[in-house]
Amino acid sequence: MAPDKGRRKFILVVFCFLFLFCEVYGASPDLTNVFSSKHTNNWAVIVCTSRFWFNYRHVANSLAIYRSVKRLGIPDSHIILMLADDMACNARNPRPGTVFSNANQQTNVYGDDVEVDYRGYEVTVENFIRVITGRLPASVPRSKRLLSDDRSNILVYMTGHGGDGFLKFQDSEEISSIELADAFEQMWQKQRYHEIFFMVDTCQAQSMHQEFYSPNILAVGSSKVGEDSLSHHSDPEIGVYVVDRYTYYVLQFLERVEPNSRVTIDELFQYTTPRLVHSTPSTRTDLFPRETQEILVTDFFGSVRNIELSNSTKLLIHESKHKVEHQNKPIPRPLRSLDNFPSEPEAVSEHFTFKFSSSFFCLLSLVLGAMGIHFYNLSVTL
Amino acid sequence: MSATWWGCCCFVCFLSSFVVGKEDFHEELYIKPFPSGDVLTYFQFTTLWSVDIRDKNAFSHYNLFPKSFGQIITKYSVEELHLSLTQGFWNTHLWGYAMQPASPGAELAVWFQDEVSQSIDKEWRSLTNVLSGQFCASLNFIKAENTASPNVSFRRRGVTSSKYNDSRTLRYSSLPREIVCTENLTPWKKLLPCDSKSGLSSLLNSLLIYKVKYHSMSINLRTICEDSECQVPLLELQQTLSIVTDPVLRSGGYDWSLRKLFGHSLRSSCPLATTSKVLVDITGNDTDFSFSLKPKPTRIILKAEEEPSRQFAVYNLKGKGKIPKLLSSDSGFNLVFKWKRRHNHVKVPYFFAHRFLTGYGEEHAGIQCEMYNHHKTASIKIVYFQVFPWHFRIFLHTLRIRINDVIIKPEYIDYVPSRDRERPTKLELALAVPPDSIVTVNLEFDRVFLKWTEHPPDAHHGFYLPSGVITAKLISSENTTFPTSHESLFSPSIKGTKTADNVIRMYTEVLLVPLPTPDFSMPYNVICLTCTVVAIAFGSLYNLSTKRLQEVDPREPTGILGKLKQKLLKLKEKLFPPRKSEDKQKDSKKND
Repeated sequence: MAPDKGRRKFILVVFCFLFLFCEVYGASPDLTNVFSSKHTNNWAVIVCTSRFWFNYRHVANSLAIYRSVKRLGIPDSHIILMLADDMACNARNPRPGTVFSNANQQTNVYGDDVEVDYRGYEVTVENFIRVITGRLPASVPRSKRLLSDDRSNILVYMTGHGGDGFLKFQDSEEISSIELADAFEQMWQKQRYHEIFFMVDTCQAQSMHQEFYSPNILAVGSSKVGEDSLSHHSDPEIGVYVVDRYTYYVLQFLERVEPNSRVTIDELFQYTTPRLVHSTPSTRTDLFPRETQEILVTDFFGSVRNIELSNSTKLLIHESKHKVEHQNKPIPRPLRSLDNFPSEPEAVSEHFTFKFSSSFFCLLSLVLGAMGIHFYNLSVTL
Repeated sequence: MSATWWGCCCFVCFLSSFVVGKEDFHEELYIKPFPSGDVLTYFQFTTLWSVDIRDKNAFSHYNLFPKSFGQIITKYSVEELHLSLTQGFWNTHLWGYAMQPASPGAELAVWFQDEVSQSIDKEWRSLTNVLSGQFCASLNFIKAENTASPNVSFRRRGVTSSKYNDSRTLRYSSLPREIVCTENLTPWKKLLPCDSKSGLSSLLNSLLIYKVKYHSMSINLRTICEDSECQVPLLELQQTLSIVTDPVLRSGGYDWSLRKLFGHSLRSSCPLATTSKVLVDITGNDTDFSFSLKPKPTRIILKAEEEPSRQFAVYNLKGKGKIPKLLSSDSGFNLVFKWKRRHNHVKVPYFFAHRFLTGYGEEHAGIQCEMYNHHKTASIKIVYFQVFPWHFRIFLHTLRIRINDVIIKPEYIDYVPSRDRERPTKLELALAVPPDSIVTVNLEFDRVFLKWTEHPPDAHHGFYLPSGVITAKLISSENTTFPTSHESLFSPSIKGTKTADNVIRMYTEVLLVPLPTPDFSMPYNVICLTCTVVAIAFGSLYNLSTKRLQEVDPREPTGILGKLKQKLLKLKEKLFPPRKSEDKQKDSKKND
């Protein structure tokens, strides 16, 4: 009786399991509409193109955006920050190690944890285009590369001085809107992005995105062609303007955004009204397949990792490629320490000859020893 | 069965203990109050790993040693590495000889292993690029054109197995314009096992450590020996940070405390650290009682074998005692230093150097380096090393070395002339500075007119001439901030590889040299001028050749003036019509 009961129990358990398996594998749910955005990773390229102390506000703009994207979850390894000049430890800065984007000095946007990837003279048009198109020399480290793929959403934020169809870099060269459009096309052809949100805060910013022709780019500029973008306010303590108007209101908007909030890009566009910004922010949505009401701000400013659910089972076979090769290692040379101060500079060669002679004696003694052993063996066998 | 199982386990443990070398981490803070009132705080974080740097397979398991850095050094076959990032100039007059001397800006010296001796320049180029990413500094600007291999100035600080005694495996470069800020400290801190979460590194508050007179962070890697026969190599990674603070600027008085210097007191020691100590230089206090230290130190060390003898108060943050208890209390460990009688007597070192620019105009210039030996009896052996970027064209025949205005010949000279855009000029001199005398080294150079595209965006700022490096063998450890030694730690728990030899290094001032800059707006001017000329010359010719000549009515006014006069008359008629009509209008209004 007792074994029969046990068998029944066993069968019941097996049936339960089978039922569960059928539930999981039998009904294949349609997962295509689970996620509105198809990206799996987020990147940000934040560029300040202006040198010199009086352009403090451009560095502050960039750092404030950097803080916001970092707060919303993009790690330093996925942010390429380019700052054309150092403001935090500038000799003119009375508060070293700080950059404030507001005269009330509440948040130090430079902060205690900052990684600037390209700085000073490194911020050039060539480097910028090389970074976004991925055409960098082999020795450039990972932290200075945009390692995006066809599932990456990229935020490109640029600020500096510009004009109709160009943006100045370091006050010595400029990137034209056509060059920028071609670079984005190159990125698209190399499958380096899924979607791009391009934001630029400069005079006549609209001209920077007018020439774009690659798909999946959403662009916004701080002003129309023929309009100037203005700065917001100055800090009397340091005597320079600390933030630009457009970026100021974008930041104000981003303050309310949390990693899980459903705020859309459309709300951002509605928020930055010409009345606030004192110039007309111009948007470009025709290249973008989705409606702005559907795009979340966190699709670009945050790093929301979407999990892909797959109905098929994939086997992940790990084959250890790194087999430790047990070679017959050559005996390492002995370690020795050298003089810390050359007693006689000419003595170097003497030292060398001494070393040489000592090694020679070592060899000689070895050979002699070997010969001795050989002869000894010979004599024993004889 | 179980016995064999246990045996296997033991064997695996035994093996792993061999595969993964022993790692130790030590954190130390050395504080020296200078007679001038300034305070040196010197952080030293040492990671010791019993591993052979030549054994690449050993660098696959990391415990305390930073993995990102370990991967770099194995990839590029580094044997010894010294990197420093400095802001400010070490004032030898006020502070004596620096503990970790460094040139202003960035400085990098690397010895490579023999196995890459054929491709060192390639490895060096890649290494600088990778380090620039690691430390967020523009070290990628180190190229062949500012790299040199000094023969005698730089010596390995650790042990080596290299078969070369010369400098062929050494590469040295300095970037005097490099700015150092939080962005460099952040990755530096991330290499520490405790980051800045706990321990002495938690004092590094970037808001305060850049509000100082001098700060220099460095990372040094070398191999030392665990035993006296040098059978077991030990890899030493030392991260140091020297900060010179002026307490008067910080808090208005000469007294200082950890809270005043760093914003908060110390609340923990790094749990991963084997030793965690704070040392304060209290030399001379037992005789003249010029200051007081609170709380009482764990012990006081007397270094009598040095001349002059020194005294250090040691606070042990580990183990059992009053100090670890203080750490865990609410107020934390706050070291308070109060002056009772501050004698403002600064003892200037007897050997120091000074360098400046000579010459005038935009074509020629020169430098003069003066080395002073104020010692009455001892002569000092020195090596002077200087790299001139190629845009300062050096003339060797103008080299004059004088001892008290008498021209002499140096004992040793190594000169490698520059090649434009390829390599810098290297000058290395060895000589002895006689007692109570001044040695001056004079050299003249031409300022090169660079190509238009070679100028940086702020060319008018000028170009930096890196510091000259003076290596000197002093006769005593007087005026050194800490007795020179080659040991890993302050409190010698590990047997040193060398005895103190009083060899110091000094850096001269970085010089800013304006080079002739072209008129950058010239191309635009040329375009404008050409357009004007073309418009005038070609335009009139075009007019002449295309327009038809016509007969003109002689009664019509000719010339510009006549036409203008006629037009004005017409305008006048329009604006002020003749009186008659006006009267008529008035009449009509009346009629209405």
